[in-house]
Amino acid sequence: MRRVMPDTIAVVDLAVCDRCGLCLPLCPPEAIHLELNNLTVDEATCTGCEKCIAPCPVGALAMVAYA
Amino acid sequence: MPDVDVLVVGAGPAGAVAAWQAKQAAPELDVVLLERDRAVGAPVRCAEGVGDAGLREFANPDGADWVSRRITDVILEAPDDTQVVLANSGVGWILDRTRFDAFLAAQAAAEGAAVLVGAEATAMARNGGDRWHVRVKQRGTEEVYRARVVIGADGVETMVGRWAGLDTRVPARDMESCAQYVLQGIDFNPDAIYLQFSTAIAPGGYAWIFPKGVGVANVGLGLVALKTDGRNAREYLDAWIARRFPAGARTGYTVGGVIVHTTIKKSYTDGVLIAGDAAHMINPLSGGGINNAMKAGRLAGCTAAAAIREGDTSERRLAAYHKAWMDLLGEDHLKYYRLKQGLEHMDDAFLNSLARSVNKVAPNKRTLGRVLTHAMIRHPQLIPVVARFFV
Repeated sequence: MRRVMPDTIAVVDLAVCDRCGLCLPLCPPEAIHLELNNLTVDEATCTGCEKCIAPCPVGALAMVAYA
Repeated sequence: MPDVDVLVVGAGPAGAVAAWQAKQAAPELDVVLLERDRAVGAPVRCAEGVGDAGLREFANPDGADWVSRRITDVILEAPDDTQVVLANSGVGWILDRTRFDAFLAAQAAAEGAAVLVGAEATAMARNGGDRWHVRVKQRGTEEVYRARVVIGADGVETMVGRWAGLDTRVPARDMESCAQYVLQGIDFNPDAIYLQFSTAIAPGGYAWIFPKGVGVANVGLGLVALKTDGRNAREYLDAWIARRFPAGARTGYTVGGVIVHTTIKKSYTDGVLIAGDAAHMINPLSGGGINNAMKAGRLAGCTAAAAIREGDTSERRLAAYHKAWMDLLGEDHLKYYRLKQGLEHMDDAFLNSLARSVNKVAPNKRTLGRVLTHAMIRHPQLIPVVARFFV
């Protein structure tokens, strides 16, 4: 359960993402899923911690304002 | 709704060996091996290097078509390109993983396991009974498999671990972000693997050249993102290759994560075992995981088979798997992890001076013990690091 609404959350650029799955175990609330060759970030679960951003080998993840 | 005894998710080295060994240990069991991708072994997300002794526990590499190259030398490189050549330092192999993984899956099939490609587990629940219900999508259709034991060999991104309620998360400092090209038409010693250590080239990891043949190699690097200057792994690799092999033709490309941590605290629960990369069963110093995965797969397959025969697939029974793994390699990985933490503080100037002093040991006398002793005499700051390894 998120206690504070984050200002920003992670989003993936699927045109850049290689589906390597590196970011999944880095996500503390386990908000990232890889299924049927599709990587998704669950915006209701993402806490905006940014732990997934820098480790992506191809820079496919970025933070955006949480609407 | 198919009923199976053992459902293995993921047909890499851990999963294929788990299915193979489970079926061999208990031929009467129904064993199914699932591979998400359309071909076992592809895409390759690996530098493909493996040690000889561990490999031979499972397969004979001599003349095998799944071998790319036999390796006899190791060349360590300092940040300033000073080379420390360890000639005849033991045999290793560079595999062709597309063929090797298929070979292992074929062993499972030969024992009677069913191998399904293009078959992805998408959800898993216990539903109160004594079997796991695993949803499997294949060619647009969906089936629910009911399994007594599920073996999660689904790699760094493991979903089986999550679904089973096991903690497979890892801190960012223990994740190596890796990028690799297959480079053709480059000049290097094809009997040697090259490892270059430098905070400028691959902070928190190393860059590698693993020969696939004469003039062709897996050229890549792994780094810890927390230690970088803001560039990602691919950008670091592009910079390294621009300097080392500007004329190399890039005929392949892959990226991925290597977890350089220690085994997950709990790799089992009622009716579930987690093996290989999914359980962080990787040598945290080298990042090597293939032999580890096969050994874990063998333990998982044999434990699952024995537990099903005994009619007890409870968490208590399956805990034997975790203990067997920790005794076999898990405890060693804890030591390697402490050593890794100690080595993290070496800067490039120190590594350059270390390489020079090690090179004063005659090449034919460069055993690991002598090199280590010499290094500690010349660089006493290494002593506490090495000491931590032995406590």
